[in-house]
Amino acid sequence: MQKSKHLPAGRKDRTMVLVDIRETKSVKASDVFLQVRPGKDFELITLLRAMLREQKVTDDQIAETGLTREQCVDFLDRAKAAKFGVFFFGMGLSMTRGKHMNSAALLTLAAELNAFTKFVAMPMRGHGNVTGADVIMRWQTGYPFGITFNRGYPRYNPGEFSTVDVLVRGDTDCAFIIGADPGATMPQPAIDHMAKVPTIVLDPHVTHTSKLAKVHITTAPAGIAAPGTAYRMDEIPLPLKPAIDSPYPSDEEVVRRINEAVAQKADWLGTRPQSIQHQPIS
Amino acid sequence: MSELKIINNATCTFCGCVCDDIQLHSDGNRIHKAVKACVLGKAWFLNHTGDKKYPDAIVDGKETSVEEAIQVSADLLYDADMPLVYGMSNTTCEAQKECVALADQLCGLLDSHTSL
Amino acid sequence: MLRVTGGKVFDPANGINGEVRDLCVDQGRFVGSVDGGKTIDATGMVIFPGGVDVHTHVAGGSINFARAMTPEDHRRTQAFIRTKTRRSGIGGMAPTTFATGYLYAGMGFTTVNEAAVPVLSARHTHEELSDIPIVDKSSLVLMANNEILLDLIEKGELERAKQVLAWYVSSAKAYGVKAVNPGGVAAWKYGNDAKTLTETISGYKTLTPGNVVTNLAKLVDELGFPHPIHLHCNNLGAPGNISTTIETMKHLEGHRAHLAHLQYHAYGGDDWTTMRSEAAQLAEYFNAHPNMTTDAGAVLFGDTVTITADGPWQHLLYKLTGRKWGNLDVENETGCGIVPYTYKPSNLVNAVQWAVGLELLLLIDDPWRVFLSTDHPNGACFWRYPEIVKLLMCADFRNECMRKLPVSIMNKITLPEITREYTLYEIATIMSAGPARALGLKQKGNLGIGADADIVIYNQEDDVEHMFGHPRYVIKGGEVVIEEGEIRETPDGREFIVQPKYESDTEAFLQPLFEELYTMQFENYPVEMERIEHPDIQECVPVE
Repeated sequence: MQKSKHLPAGRKDRTMVLVDIRETKSVKASDVFLQVRPGKDFELITLLRAMLREQKVTDDQIAETGLTREQCVDFLDRAKAAKFGVFFFGMGLSMTRGKHMNSAALLTLAAELNAFTKFVAMPMRGHGNVTGADVIMRWQTGYPFGITFNRGYPRYNPGEFSTVDVLVRGDTDCAFIIGADPGATMPQPAIDHMAKVPTIVLDPHVTHTSKLAKVHITTAPAGIAAPGTAYRMDEIPLPLKPAIDSPYPSDEEVVRRINEAVAQKADWLGTRPQSIQHQPIS
Repeated sequence: MSELKIINNATCTFCGCVCDDIQLHSDGNRIHKAVKACVLGKAWFLNHTGDKKYPDAIVDGKETSVEEAIQVSADLLYDADMPLVYGMSNTTCEAQKECVALADQLCGLLDSHTSL
Repeated sequence: MLRVTGGKVFDPANGINGEVRDLCVDQGRFVGSVDGGKTIDATGMVIFPGGVDVHTHVAGGSINFARAMTPEDHRRTQAFIRTKTRRSGIGGMAPTTFATGYLYAGMGFTTVNEAAVPVLSARHTHEELSDIPIVDKSSLVLMANNEILLDLIEKGELERAKQVLAWYVSSAKAYGVKAVNPGGVAAWKYGNDAKTLTETISGYKTLTPGNVVTNLAKLVDELGFPHPIHLHCNNLGAPGNISTTIETMKHLEGHRAHLAHLQYHAYGGDDWTTMRSEAAQLAEYFNAHPNMTTDAGAVLFGDTVTITADGPWQHLLYKLTGRKWGNLDVENETGCGIVPYTYKPSNLVNAVQWAVGLELLLLIDDPWRVFLSTDHPNGACFWRYPEIVKLLMCADFRNECMRKLPVSIMNKITLPEITREYTLYEIATIMSAGPARALGLKQKGNLGIGADADIVIYNQEDDVEHMFGHPRYVIKGGEVVIEEGEIRETPDGREFIVQPKYESDTEAFLQPLFEELYTMQFENYPVEMERIEHPDIQECVPVE
C-alpha cells in the first residue's frame, strides 16, 4: 500500500473499519468490523452524531442498531484521533431504507468530525466511468443526473426525471441505453416498459437490454479497444490506453453520428433569440 | 498470432477506482496478461477480444449495418415525444459528452447510473 | 473584413482617450485599412477593447463541485435555451460552462484567466475550459503547497525547484503559477493554518510561508512566465490580516507579483466585532511599490457561493454560517472548500468588505495596477461587474448605497471620505488594458494594429450599469458574437499556455517522488497538447 510522508508505514499506519450487515470477505482485510442491523444505518449515524456532541444516548437505542456502546465509543475515539479520516460509502447505504437521508446523515457526521480532525466522505462508485458522467453533466447542465431538457434547457428533479421512475410510470416513449444493462438490473415494470417502447442499445456485448431492444449497435469496449478519458471516483481524470483492435466503432463515434443524423432534421425548437438578462439577486 | 506488445500504465475502467498502473500484454486481438490488476480487473481485461463475436448492428432482430442502425436510431429518437438517454457508466467521457449533446438536441431526458 | 466607424475609442494601451477613430479588422486582427466587407456605424457610441478577467474561477473541480451543491440557484436563475448552433445552459452563482461563455461575452469580456488549478485537476480543467465558448482562456496551476517543491525550497535546492516548477507548468499546460495561502494549505493536512510569514509551516523543520513566497516569485521571474506569481496571501478574510499582507508584500520586493483579491486581505481590528477597513494603509504601501499589480476581489451584496483552495478558511466559514459545506481534498498539495454565502448590508463584516473592495479600487492611484474582479464567485458573480463600474463612476450612487449600511460602520471605513469618480478611460484600463498587460497578453486589451479584434461597442448612457451590462455589439476575433444583448455566434475560444524548458534529468528526478506522493502514474499525468482547444503558446522571457 502507498507509503507517504504522513503515513510512512503504509497499511500499518492506517485503520480500516468495516460496517456491514453481514460478515463478508472484506472483514479479513479490516481492523474493526461493526455489524449493523439491516435498515438501521440512519439510526446508527444519528446516534454517533449525538455521542460526538456528548448528548445523552440510551443503551437501548444503541442496541437497536446491533452495536454496543463500547463499539460506538471506540469508533468515535478512533475517528477523532485519526490524522485524516474518510468515510467510503456505497449502495448498501444509499439504496436501503432511508436512501439519500442515510447519505446526508453520513456527510453531516463527516462535516461534524472536522471539529476534531480532518474528515471527508466519498461515495464508492460501482461502475467504471459513472463519475465521468456525473462530472460532465454538472459542467454542461449544472446537475449531476435526473435531468430533462424538455423546455430547451436543463432542469433537475430526481424522482421525476430519474430513469427508474420515468420507466415505471411509463413516461418515456423511446429509450437510448449506452454503457449500461438496465434490462438485467432494473425493477420488472421498468424492464417491461423498455420492451414496449423502441429501445436503442449501444454495447460491446449483446446484453439483456439488447434482447428486448429494437436497435442494438455493437461498439468497441471503452479503455480496452476504444481510447478516451475516464474519471476516477475522486473526480480525477485518467487517459485510457486501448490494447486491442476492435472491428467495431467506438461509442463516441456512433453517438456523434446519431447526433449528426438528428441535426439534419428540422429543429424542434426552431430558432429564437437569446437575450442576456439581468438575473434576479435576492 | 502476432507478437505480444506490452502496454505500461494502462487504465482499468472496471470499477470506480480506475487504477492506472496496469501492465497489459496484448497480441492486438486479445489481452493475455494484466499485471497488477485485481481479480475483477483481470477478468475485465481478459474477457474482451478483437473477434467479431456479435453482428455490427441489429434492428428488429435482423442483422444490419451500423449506418442503417444509426439512421433508424436517429429517426426513433427524433420522433419520440419524451426520449430518454440513460447509462453512460461503461463508456468514455468523450462518448458521454456526445450523449449530453444528444439529450440536449432532442429536448429529452438525461440520466446515469447515479440515479439508481 | 470589418470596419467600425465613428465611435469614441477608449484604448488606454495606445493612449487614445475618447477620440473618434475608425477600426479595421481582417482575419481576426486589427489592420490599418480594409477594402470592402461589413461596416458597423458606431457614431455616438463608446468603444472599448474586449474585457479581460485576470482572476476568476470558471472551470475545474471546485466550481464543478459548487454547481452540484447549488441546484436551488440553477432553478431560479437565467436559463439559456438551446438552438441549432448553441448549447443550452444555466447562469447564476456557478454557471455551466456554455453559459459562462455567453455571460462573459454578454458583458463584453473576451479573455478570462482561471486562477486556481490543482496539479491533478489540470486535465479536468482543460476539458471544461474547452466547453466555454466565445472567450479565450488561460489557467494557473497551484504550486505553493506542493510537497516536492516545498521540500526543495526548504533544502535550498532552488535550481532543482526551478526545473520541477517548469515541468509542472509545462505538463499541466498552464499559463502560470498560482500560490494560495503558501504553507497554510499544507498545514491544513494537520488541521492547522499558516497565518504569519515567519512561523515554521506544520510538517517542516525550518520552512516558512515567507520562504515560499519569496522563492516562488523569484523562480517565476527566472523562468520568465508572461504573468508573474499570482498570489493569494496567507490569513485571508481574518480581522487584523493587514499585517500579514504588508509582510507578504515586503517579501516580494525585487520581484514581479500579482496579488489576488486584496479586498480579503485589508482588514484591521482584533475580531469580527472590531473589524475595520485598512484599505488606506494597504493602498499607501501598494502605491509606493510598482513591482506589484492586484485585482480588487470586490464584494457585492446578495447570494453567491464561495470556493477557494484555502481549506481552513472555508471550514471557519462553514462554522460561522452553519450552511452547506463541501471540502475537496486533492492529494499531495491542495484541496478546496465550498460554502454558499449571502453578503448582507446589515452584517457589519459584510458591510466592511463591500467598502474595502471599492476603497482599494479608488485609493490605488494607478489604474494600470488594480483591476476589476470579484474573485468570481467568491465576492459576487462575474456578471455583476457592471454594478461595480457604476459604483466607481458615480459618487452619488455610492453615497446612496452607503446610506443602507449600519451607522456603526462609518468610523470603520474610509469610503465616505472618497470623492474620486472613475472616467471611461480609467474603466477601460481596469477592465481590459491593465489586466491584459498584467497577464503579459500583448494581443489583448488594446485596439492597436496586429492585436486581436476583440471590440465592445456600448451605447453611451447615463445609467452606466445598464450601459456596461448591455453592450450594443461585442466582437470577438472580428466576429460579431453579441448584438443588442442577443447572442449571435458562439465560436470556440483558444487557450493561452506556456511551455517552459526544463533540464533533461528533471523527469528522472521527479518520477519516483511523483509516484510516491500521487496515486496517478507519472507517465499518465502530462496533459497532451491535443487535449487543449486551439493552444496558443506564449513566449517565456526571463526577468532580470
